[in-house]
This record gives sequence, structure tokens and C-alpha cells, in this order.
Amino acid sequence: MSIPVSWYLIVSAIIFTVGVTGVLIRRNPLIIFMSIELMLNAVNLSFVAFSRFLDSVDGQMFVFLVLTVAAAEVVVGLAIIVSIFRTRRDIDVDDMNVLRG
Amino acid sequence: MIDFQLVSFFVLAVATVAAAIGVITFRNAVHSALSLILTLLFLALFYLQLGAMFIAVVQILIYAGAIMVLFLFVVTMLASEARDTESPDRIPWQRGIAATLGLILVGALSYLLFTGTAIDASAKASGANSLSLVVKTQGDTQAFGLALFHGFAFPFEVTSLLIVVALLGAMVLGRKG
Repeated sequence: MSIPVSWYLIVSAIIFTVGVTGVLIRRNPLIIFMSIELMLNAVNLSFVAFSRFLDSVDGQMFVFLVLTVAAAEVVVGLAIIVSIFRTRRDIDVDDMNVLRG
Repeated sequence: MIDFQLVSFFVLAVATVAAAIGVITFRNAVHSALSLILTLLFLALFYLQLGAMFIAVVQILIYAGAIMVLFLFVVTMLASEARDTESPDRIPWQRGIAATLGLILVGALSYLLFTGTAIDASAKASGANSLSLVVKTQGDTQAFGLALFHGFAFPFEVTSLLIVVALLGAMVLGRKG
């Protein structure tokens, strides 16, 4: 038997929720960043599942573009975190309340 | 006889969710990063199961390879100077609120999943757009490449601009002074 598409969507929804919860409860910006990656990947799983069950390649194209955007986002985000750490010597999102460098 | 596809789906689903929960529960950021690599590898196996070979390989190369190396590099660079444990919480109700909001999200998503319209045969692509047909006649990566350089040529070119901007941004943010 083949696995229905909704099962993949349920796994995707669970991973997405884990990512959202991670963003809400953690205060280390690196782990918050990893939770954002979790959310992106949860959506990617939905895209690939839909691509399979709608028999169209478009879902895989979106995953490819999401991968590229995620790579760019990680590069800029980590550069910002390193730059914050260089000026403040401490990384805790509760302490970050100024945008000045 | 037990269905191999079904068993592998459940094993993968449990492993992926467990690794994802590990990402947000480990105290040490390096452990979280390793757990995230595990999650990404399991997701690549999901993609293989769904027949998206090229995406699975790209997932391992770019995500589990390039992006996570960058993550681990920054984590280890900052971890040597930062404290091991997080400082005591200044917002005591944060976790309760976060758990409540997470449960609401689970409820909303499962409501949408179980009340939405099912995909029927009419929604499927047909004729020349059919993925399975192209995969059967030409191959998986060929099907992907055809779509990338025909239907998605413009987004693909915009992506290169985005990467240049990200490169410049990282250099500007990373320079001294």
C-alpha cells in the first residue's frame, strides 16, 4: 500500500511546531536560528510530499529555492550574531534591546 | 507480510521528530547542532522515499554539509567564551505561554489537516507536465533540470543576485571596526 499524503503533512506539522516552540522557549540566538531551520525543513517536507502526490516537479523547485534562500539567510544571520557577540561579549536574546553596534 | 515502505515511514517519522525535539531541548548548543544535522539527514531519507533523488542529495550536500559546517563553526567559536548554561530566566511565564501557543498551533494545524479537501485525481498534473512520465523517460535529475531552466529560469537567476547580496552582507558585517 502507498502512504497517504496526509501522513507526511502530519510529520511536517509536528516538526514545524517543534521549531516554533524552540523559537519561543530558547534564549540562545544560535539555537533560535536552528529552530528556524527546522521550520524551513518542515515546509520543505510538505513541498516534496505534494510534488510526489500531485505528480508535478514544481514542489521540488520550491524546495531548491528555499535551500538557496536558507543558505543566504544563515550566512547573514550568523554574521550578525558574531558581530553582536564581538561588541557585547554575551549572547542572550533577553539582553538584546538595542540595534546600535 | 509487513510492508517495508510503511515500516520505514514510521521509523523515519519517529527518528526525525525525536531529533527535532533534541534540537530545542539540549542545553549545549553543539549538541543541538549535531541533533539538527541528524534531523536533516532523516529528512533527506524522507525525500528519497518520496522519489526526489536530486533534492535528497542536495539536502545532504548543502544543508547537512555546508550550512551545518557554518553553524558548528560559529557555535564552537562563540562557545569557548560564552557561558555553558543559560542565565536564569527573567521572564518566568515564558515557557508556559510558549507551551500553550505550541499546543494551539498543533490544534490549528491538525484541524486544517483533517478538515481540508482531499487531493483528488483532477488536481494531478497530466501529459507533458507529469513528473512520473518525465522521470520514466528521461530521469529524475533531468526532469528537475528541465523545469529549472525552462519554467523557473527567472527565479534561478534572481537567486544568484541574492547570494551575491548575502556574500557582501556577511563581509560588511564581519569586517573589523
